[in-house]
Amino acid sequence: SAALTFELVGKCSTTRARASILTLPHGQVNLPIFMPVATQASLKGLTPEQLEATGCRLCLNNTYHLGLKPGQEVLDAVGGAHKFQGWNHNLLTDSGGFQMVSLLKLANVTEEGVRFLSPHDGSPMLLTPEHSMSLQNSIGSDIMMQLDDVLVTTHPDKARMREAMERSVRWLDRCIAAHKYPERQNLFCIIQGGLDLEMRRECCREMVARDTPGIAIGGLSGGEAKDDFCKVVATCTEQLPELKPRYVMGIGYPEDLVVSVALGADMFDCVWPTRTARFGNAITKHGVLNMKREMYAADFGPIEEGCGCQCCRPVGQEGSLGITRAFIHHNAAKETVAAHLLTLHNVWYQLDLMRQAREAIIADQFPAFVKKFFVGLYPDGQSYPSWAVNALRGVGIELLER
Amino acid sequence: MTVDTEPQEPESTAMRFEVVSSALKEGTAAAARVGRLALPGRRPIDTPNFIAVTSRGTLPHVTPDNISKHLQVSGAYFSLEDFVEKSQQNLSRPPPIFSAPTSTNHPTPLYSFTGTPSHITTILAARRLPAVPSPIGNSTKSISVFTNTGFQNLSTTDYLSAASTLEPDITIPLADLTNNSPPGTSPTSKRALRMAERTDEWIVDWFSSPLSTSTSTFAPVLPIPYPIQWEYLSRLAEDYIPSSQLSGLAVHDPDIIPDLATHQPSLLSLPLLSLSNPSNPHLILRHIALGTDLFALPLINAVSDAGLALNFTFPAPPSPGSTPLPLAVDLSLPSFSTSVTPLSESCTCYACKSHHKSYIHHLLQAREMLGWTLLQIHNHATMSAFFGGIQRSIKDATFEDERLSFSRAYDSEMPAGVGERPRMRGYQYKSQGGEENAGKKKNKPAWQKELAVEDDKVEVPETDGGRELQEKGVGEVVKGSGR
Ligand SMILES: [Zn+2]
Ligand SMILES: [Zn+2]
Repeated sequence: SAALTFELVGKCSTTRARASILTLPHGQVNLPIFMPVATQASLKGLTPEQLEATGCRLCLNNTYHLGLKPGQEVLDAVGGAHKFQGWNHNLLTDSGGFQMVSLLKLANVTEEGVRFLSPHDGSPMLLTPEHSMSLQNSIGSDIMMQLDDVLVTTHPDKARMREAMERSVRWLDRCIAAHKYPERQNLFCIIQGGLDLEMRRECCREMVARDTPGIAIGGLSGGEAKDDFCKVVATCTEQLPELKPRYVMGIGYPEDLVVSVALGADMFDCVWPTRTARFGNAITKHGVLNMKREMYAADFGPIEEGCGCQCCRPVGQEGSLGITRAFIHHNAAKETVAAHLLTLHNVWYQLDLMRQAREAIIADQFPAFVKKFFVGLYPDGQSYPSWAVNALRGVGIELLER
Repeated sequence: MTVDTEPQEPESTAMRFEVVSSALKEGTAAAARVGRLALPGRRPIDTPNFIAVTSRGTLPHVTPDNISKHLQVSGAYFSLEDFVEKSQQNLSRPPPIFSAPTSTNHPTPLYSFTGTPSHITTILAARRLPAVPSPIGNSTKSISVFTNTGFQNLSTTDYLSAASTLEPDITIPLADLTNNSPPGTSPTSKRALRMAERTDEWIVDWFSSPLSTSTSTFAPVLPIPYPIQWEYLSRLAEDYIPSSQLSGLAVHDPDIIPDLATHQPSLLSLPLLSLSNPSNPHLILRHIALGTDLFALPLINAVSDAGLALNFTFPAPPSPGSTPLPLAVDLSLPSFSTSVTPLSESCTCYACKSHHKSYIHHLLQAREMLGWTLLQIHNHATMSAFFGGIQRSIKDATFEDERLSFSRAYDSEMPAGVGERPRMRGYQYKSQGGEENAGKKKNKPAWQKELAVEDDKVEVPETDGGRELQEKGVGEVVKGSGR
């Protein structure tokens, strides 16, 4: 397509992992990638310059939030979200539908769109595929998402699940028709179908036929069993065209990222790394550490030994800030600066994890990388979560094998 | 003595202060002056100037990389009470800051614990600025301080040992201040006399104790009339200037400077740091006219929290109109929602180069922390430029004229700011001068909301729902009946 090129640069000879270069209107991004979520056009206290310094070249904004504040009129007046927030790299926006369904409990979905009652005065309102496209066109995101009929994967009603999947296909057609700038903004479709693998396959066929420049796997991370999550990802990637980017929406825990890459996915987003930073939590290769715990009060080591982020880089190295766990402990939940520093670290961790995965794929060392990653989290080399063991076994990695 | 070159010899550990140029006229007592304060290993500070005020060891909302990259600030005020709280889980643990290991980039525990860039001059005092009023009085050998876990006593010996361990560039010894009376009221003369006597005793103890040579002492000058503290002040002049133990004064009320000039002129060879917390630039200019060299300015942090962008220059622009200009722009006002101009047309700070009013207005509306970060960067930059203009005008001998024009050109007070402040912790809002109720009201939304019931993977917006949705057109109102 005019606004996107996708080039495979490496493939794991064991698993389905891929390394690629995605070129978007605001520059090149290397896949696999984690995309931090700047919900309201700002990444939790970081300046765009600081976000750029972590290596981030593609982050998210939420359509629902930007539609509220600053609103479409302001976005049009200012000339889009890139200009608005001073971010010269790529942006991805969701459709707004998921946030509406999950945040406004009164929402319900009809063929026209997402209907909801105004919690303010009870008046009925509507978000249509056309309206979502119009908002995302005003935002000017490099990747925009179709409005889909999102159901939790654990929804018990199979008929409703099928209706949602089929409706999402019809809404994609309406989104394609309503999209004003296909030459400078990319519209991605979203595969639905819950945990029913046959329905997922059917949805893949329908969506792929519509030839969007990229493809998302939706509806996951809604509380389904991890085994089921992995089966859905694996089923979809098996069927998707090789030369298009694959985006698993709403995924952010490091184990989920690594396993999903092994299953052939390329792109991920989640608010968890930045949110958990605000609660004083640091993501490390040995798991999540809560800096508010008393044990860190006089710990003068870096947040994570060996981390290359600005906070943790050894003192004396270019740009090192020499931040200690003790200082984060001292100010966690007290001064915003502690949250900013942990956000810097956590975003770096997530981006670096994907950079390392990419390098391993290109060197065809990905299975070794996966094993090393899991040993970091489970030092006994035994107590791995069974879902990860199973999913990786499915693509040729035996975690339990030394 | 030249101060232009960085001190190189290892034995050169002394602070140096030189008055470069002064507006002092024959026969007058005190006047605005330009100087340079140089501490070994730090960026020299051209005076008059200001230092930033930290909270819990950090400039609020600004990470150390942004301080180094985007602020011209060369000094910072730290309070010991921000570091010595008793841990509730581990009562016997000494404050961790005292054991922070040092390195070349972070040469003292104060730098290494807080991550303060090493070019910044560090100034340590016992209490926050402004200090939270204490219901407990001071005693003969200790003052009452307010920590994150409550009030506790800080003895003169504990403070001395803290200063010796932390090795700030400059330490302000304890003063017996009345922090329990409403701001603006002066103590009874009996109390004032005791303040002077105690502070005098404490300074004698201070200078007779073995103190690290790497910290310079700025003795407190009390906010009481000169005649009540003359004995204390003459001791400073007569004993501790000749002994080179006294390096500067920490003045709580600069109106005493003319008295110092009359009675103890040798004290004015020292740099004068004001802790008076001026509420607007007119007061700053007045205090400079009296001879103040350096200001600790909590005002800037407060202005940023209020959603205000400082918008004044010195000299003032030639003002054609008759209505005075506002000192700051209130970015919370809806009129800025589509304004794509920088916070201030003349400003070259990072916030002004990279962003515009519309975005900062949005960040404040959305309660995104970056809004306050960008305002801090801009407001500190504006203050740096203001002081730069003051330095030039003193050198050019136009300061008094320009001060007059400035007072005509600008409003007398800072606007209040209609926006909601960042969430304040107890130690912060109690320090807003008895504004506890106002503090609570301002406290409503939180930058770190407890979201136990929410899915960890969904970002929750702060919205009143439908009305806003409808107004902003996220959804459209369904015509006719609902379902
Ligand atoms: Zn780090
Ligand atoms: Zn500026």
